[in-house]
Amino acid sequence: MLRASRRTGLVFFPAFDWAISPTHPEREERLLYTQDQVLEEGLLDVDGIIEYRVRPAAFEDIQRVHFCVPDEESVATESHLIAAGGCLVAADAVLRGEVKSAFALVRPPGHHAMRVVHGNRGFCNINNEAIMIEYIREQYGIRRVAIVDTDCHHGDGSQDIYWHDPDTLFISIHQDGRTLYPGSGFPREFGGPNAQGMTVNIPLPPQTGEEGFLYVLEELIMPLLEKFEPEIVINSAGQDNHFNDPITNMNFSARGYAALNARLKPDIAVLEGGYALENALPYVNVGIIMAMAGLDTSFVKEPNYERDYRPQRDDITQYIKDLVVRLRDMFLEGHLEKAACKEGLVIERSRDIYYDTDHIHERQHEKIRCCNTCSGALSIASTSNRGQHILAVLIPLGACKECRKTGLAWFEKAIRGAYTHVYLLDRVRGVYERT
Amino acid sequence: MILGLDVGGTQTDAVLIDAGRIAAAAKIPTSRDLLATLRTALEAVLSDVAPGGLERMAFSTTMTINAIVEDRLDPTGMIVSSGPGMDPAWFSVGPSYHVVEGCLDHQGFEAKPLDRTGVQNAASRIIKEGIRILGVVSKFSVRNPLHELQAAKWAGDAFSHVAMGHRVSGTLNFPRRIATTYLNAALYRTHKNFSDALVQILKEKGLNGPRYLLKPDGGTMDLDKSIQWPARTAQSGPAASVMGALALDGCKGETLVLDVGGTTTDMAVVMDGTPLLKPLGIRLGPYRTLIRSLLTHSMGIGGDSEVRMDPKGNLRIGPIRKGKPVALGGPAPTPTDAMIALDLLTVGHRNAAAAAMERLGAPAGWDAATTAERTLQTMAEAIAASAKAFIYNINSRPVYTIHEVLADRRIKPGSVLVIGGPAPQIAGYMEKALGLPSRFPRHYGVANAVGAAVARVTSEITLQADTQRGSVVIPEADVEQAIDQDFDMEQAIALGRTALCRQAAEIGAHENGLEICITEKQMFAMIRGYARTGRNIRLRMGIMPGLIPGWEIGG
Repeated sequence: MLRASRRTGLVFFPAFDWAISPTHPEREERLLYTQDQVLEEGLLDVDGIIEYRVRPAAFEDIQRVHFCVPDEESVATESHLIAAGGCLVAADAVLRGEVKSAFALVRPPGHHAMRVVHGNRGFCNINNEAIMIEYIREQYGIRRVAIVDTDCHHGDGSQDIYWHDPDTLFISIHQDGRTLYPGSGFPREFGGPNAQGMTVNIPLPPQTGEEGFLYVLEELIMPLLEKFEPEIVINSAGQDNHFNDPITNMNFSARGYAALNARLKPDIAVLEGGYALENALPYVNVGIIMAMAGLDTSFVKEPNYERDYRPQRDDITQYIKDLVVRLRDMFLEGHLEKAACKEGLVIERSRDIYYDTDHIHERQHEKIRCCNTCSGALSIASTSNRGQHILAVLIPLGACKECRKTGLAWFEKAIRGAYTHVYLLDRVRGVYERT
Repeated sequence: MILGLDVGGTQTDAVLIDAGRIAAAAKIPTSRDLLATLRTALEAVLSDVAPGGLERMAFSTTMTINAIVEDRLDPTGMIVSSGPGMDPAWFSVGPSYHVVEGCLDHQGFEAKPLDRTGVQNAASRIIKEGIRILGVVSKFSVRNPLHELQAAKWAGDAFSHVAMGHRVSGTLNFPRRIATTYLNAALYRTHKNFSDALVQILKEKGLNGPRYLLKPDGGTMDLDKSIQWPARTAQSGPAASVMGALALDGCKGETLVLDVGGTTTDMAVVMDGTPLLKPLGIRLGPYRTLIRSLLTHSMGIGGDSEVRMDPKGNLRIGPIRKGKPVALGGPAPTPTDAMIALDLLTVGHRNAAAAAMERLGAPAGWDAATTAERTLQTMAEAIAASAKAFIYNINSRPVYTIHEVLADRRIKPGSVLVIGGPAPQIAGYMEKALGLPSRFPRHYGVANAVGAAVARVTSEITLQADTQRGSVVIPEADVEQAIDQDFDMEQAIALGRTALCRQAAEIGAHENGLEICITEKQMFAMIRGYARTGRNIRLRMGIMPGLIPGWEIGG
């Protein structure tokens, strides 16, 4: 009988009864053909591939990560809770040692959801990976986590959540932000003052092919992971780099995704975007599941591969080589131009965030305490054009005494201020408060 | 009058039912010669019946499963086409398996035409090897049978029997489709010989009424029509016991059914009179198939299992059966000996049973009665643990909609029904071990034969309509037709209903007003680039396992 050389967990939640709107790419039909292909291949009969039943995540799981405005009920529907819960099921399967790795094939996606959530951005409301990672840290005592985001769009939500965290290496490989939503994800965005170099953005030019992705993986991502030595590797497995994808311009393939997964060997993969639902997703997902299980993927190929796949152009190959040289120099050779981070200094930044799906404009003002021992106390004041004006304070896991004191002082001051809501997330005590 | 006959591993049961009541029953040992066993059992139960007085006969036999397990399958050639995905060589079955080029995608569109020369070359090699039975299977043939129809045609007319994948089931699962098609082809001759011989015996006895075989899904199928689907008659024993439980008890509410036999205990869950089905299909020997089956679980503990004591002083029961109980001259103590020693059962030599219990318990310093009592407790606890795991697994099945996740429907049996030889002795112990009211029906010993006798014909179809492709396919019923953009759920249900009734009538459902159950009903709008381009309708409907009209629960 066919046997997986690596035991693999599969959490499949196609949410056949949920859509953003009837004709939106994120709709009921999205994983229908993937399910057809997975079932027809008989993958669930392979000895060592185990399918798990989803469960909804609790508000408590969301509160470890997000400040939902005004509250969790308003921003996360049942479908979001189940998609996030599916990731928790995958995490449990891996961390309890039942499987070697797991794939959460769930929707809706989450990697555009930031720390503060007013609504839906880039089809995402809550960040499935971050909710899973913080659950893993809480339940299993794991600290060092690497996220490799291979979605075609910059994982700006995950970047935002882990911007200040020196224990999380966030690597995003995506189509260059000058040519695609959300327009961010450049190498100069390399992490906050307490976590400089822990965010690595790899913007690839449109039409990057199999060769380019696998080159970047081999020459840059794998060495970065070796250097960081994570306890666990998460893949935000977006599938929209595919040459058949209707809303992006990349040139990747099912066999490319399979090869990437076989080399990266993530402990947990989480589906993100990917909207070529009939002519890419079925093959990409079969390729990923087979690669995770250690099965030979040489027969995994789109039916139109021969006709429509074009090998990568030489100028693109050259561009990527030059980019990798530059990024290696920054992140591996130690030539990152770091900002000064003097213990106790509070650094502030302001920015505007646009929620494309829900048409919300948000204005943020952020303060972080520079700290050499922890991620630093964080305060975010956020105002939206829906009349919300909130302030949220995060005291991170493992916060030092000074940062805790600073965070609590910020919170104390804010509850006397003119905010619609004030939030405190104290990960040290495991407390979440909202006024 | 109705005849029911169940061939089990060690015992063969036969019952005769008259006007909804059991009129006669017989139990004989199963011999290696299946036809001789059938003949003996028939003679035993029919001794007082005038030939021709039978309005219906149903058999649950071990013919096909034995042929599979003993590897007595006919040499069968396979021609398979797959397209991308898993390597089709991994699913090789039979002595002459050939993969040819050709690809249909998940919607049934032809992505690559079937290689005609490849099919012809494969067919001539199969013929050259002296093989005259053929199976043809393509990936996604249930969405579009084109390539299988082409392969069957292009292979030529040198074959005496050709089985096609799309006819075996409408369920998506290419490897299982290959295995199921192969089994239907490779069992064809064996099953036909068996069926011819059985018909001959029935003729000799002057029995001319309609005759049926039991299937693993708890339904029956006309014996003569079963020739096309031999694999569908395999492994019907557990189904016979579940249908027997249903016939003798009714199984209201959520009932855990336990059939305690000589070497094994089979379990199943019945929900308000409807037994649960396996999600995909039954496993036959090494083959995972798409043959619909009741969801049953078999564990290696029965009345004749060996009981021993481990070094820590714990009793262990099964899965080995050393032979008969000591009381009947067997070599090792068994739960049956425990029942005899406790005077729960009067059969064989009571003293021998008591002595065996005494010897078994001696290392722990227990007397015969204590050992016997603990043996039955241990047996019940082991069965209970297995039943709990069985129910846990059912409740862990994945669900794919928000509605199902939130509804969180869990099975929680409210009572236990025990059948099989030791049912009266073990029911009380099960009640304690599971903490649930346990009961056993009258006629508990011949429940299987009753189940075979009164099970109605079952059938299932799957329908997929895709208005973008402009086609509707019901693979099992050989339906494929063009549809227009307006084809909707109502039309789909009507079409499915007609196909299902026709199919059920073909395999022997003669009653009017068949009870049809829709088990899956989905409709998706198909959007390509923000515009609606079609609809995708998926239906699964069937006649579920149940009892023939006129049967009175309890018998």
